[in-house]
Amino acid sequence: MSGPNPTPPDAPAPATLDGDGCWRLDLRGLPPPQPMVTILRHLEQHADDGRALLVRLERDPVMLYPELAERGWCAETLSDEPGDVRLRLQRA
Amino acid sequence: MKPADTPPAAAKPTVTKPAAAKRPALGGAFLPGAAGRLLPASVPFRYFGAAAVFHLGAWLVVLLTAADWPAWRGGLGWPLAALHLVTLGTLAASAIGVSLQLLPVATKQVVRWPALLSAIWWLYVPAVAVLVAGMGLARPDWLASGATAVIAVLVVFAVMLGLNLRAGGSMAGVVLHGLGAVVALVLVLLSAAALVALWIGRPFFDHGAARQLHLTAGVFGFMGLLAFGLSFVLLPMFTLGRVPGDRQQMQAGAAALAAVVLAIAAAFVPAASLPLRAAALAVGALAFGLHLKLMRGVFGSAMRKDLGPSGRLMKAGWACLALALPAGAVALASDAGSVWGTLFGLVAVAGWLLSFLFGVLQRILPFLASMHAGQKLKRGPTPSALTLERPLLWHAIAHGLALLLLAAGLLLASAPVVRLAGLAGSVGALAFLVFFAGLLRRLARAMAEPPK
Repeated sequence: MSGPNPTPPDAPAPATLDGDGCWRLDLRGLPPPQPMVTILRHLEQHADDGRALLVRLERDPVMLYPELAERGWCAETLSDEPGDVRLRLQRA
Repeated sequence: MKPADTPPAAAKPTVTKPAAAKRPALGGAFLPGAAGRLLPASVPFRYFGAAAVFHLGAWLVVLLTAADWPAWRGGLGWPLAALHLVTLGTLAASAIGVSLQLLPVATKQVVRWPALLSAIWWLYVPAVAVLVAGMGLARPDWLASGATAVIAVLVVFAVMLGLNLRAGGSMAGVVLHGLGAVVALVLVLLSAAALVALWIGRPFFDHGAARQLHLTAGVFGFMGLLAFGLSFVLLPMFTLGRVPGDRQQMQAGAAALAAVVLAIAAAFVPAASLPLRAAALAVGALAFGLHLKLMRGVFGSAMRKDLGPSGRLMKAGWACLALALPAGAVALASDAGSVWGTLFGLVAVAGWLLSFLFGVLQRILPFLASMHAGQKLKRGPTPSALTLERPLLWHAIAHGLALLLLAAGLLLASAPVVRLAGLAGSVGALAFLVFFAGLLRRLARAMAEPPK
């Protein structure tokens, strides 16, 4: 995968499930607060399936962390290149 | 949708900054660059604290000067002072705190001049106090001194808001509303200077035009456009609902801007003032309808539909805006100096803007506090752990009651009913202060604990 997500902001792309059992979301290119809302909606919908969520973003989602904490989730940084931040979200 | 292409097991080789490689924490830990997008917590919370105190001050003024209210139709006096405790003390101070904290985060910018923002708080708060005292005591010299400092601070705010919005290209709707708010703020400040000049005996602009410009640009231009624009970021965040599309945001924003421009034009073209104001109301109704449709879409797609007292306050604010438009039409059709003009102002400023603002503050203050705590702590407190629910419920109930009583007191020209409104409003404002103090206490306690 190379370019940012071209999906228009009013139609965020759905998560995909990989062979390793993790959900994946590429949220680059989406304006705020769409990435945060998309992640939290995913967590609400898949709260009980026990799978981690891998996300790619353009920036560190500082507003997401309080919401994750509220739900008992934690974020692990996999990479924080400029314009390409990768996080693994899982139950704390 | 392009899936993230790196499986977790293979992600490790891409880690280039060891310090950021693995920091599991409840919620999450900030990456090195992110902290620069946050103001020091003390800066926005200082503005929010001032807003809460000035809000109490406004209702105390209503309580203690109730006899002045039934006959008031504008001009210096305590009702004007209370109005500015709300507009400058509460609404503008909160706008500074919310917008200058959220916009750099949203637009990936480093916070500009945090020391300046901190310093101007020390100028702004006493200046607002002097200004409203000058209005209440009919002391134009105090009024002029306070207004000069307030205008200077708000010019700085307008510049910073404009710079933040300049980088917000991906949020076209928010930027359109925000830039409209910045232009309106400039007009508010110019008209304020004209009004002050008039009061100190050095008029340079027509009084009626300056007054109309000040009201229109302040309530519907600066604060109204800012509230509409920030709603497109805040409401989806609060409700986890769908973000309205850019095109729809732009359409709603264009209609709102057109309504504000028409209303402002009415101030400059006295011969066509009535039709221009009527057109402004009609286009304003269209703009509100478009905005409300988008907000209904957010709530309709929301995963968190019930926001508690916070959501009810926001919805009460929209209901008051719906009432303000016919109230404005009645005021236009009535004699100059009728009570309808005052009621229009009450419903628009206290009913719409103040209710909506406190709906936002009830929700966002614990969120911002938790965000700031997460900057320093591996396991910071959650927003709900920082919230005191009961004072917020008391605040919402007392706020609604106070507004109803104040409207009734003005309609009936009854000072005792206005006094009751002041009492209810003061109870509500005290409850909000209890919430705010509790939030700060819990945050300070959490920050003082050793890292787990």
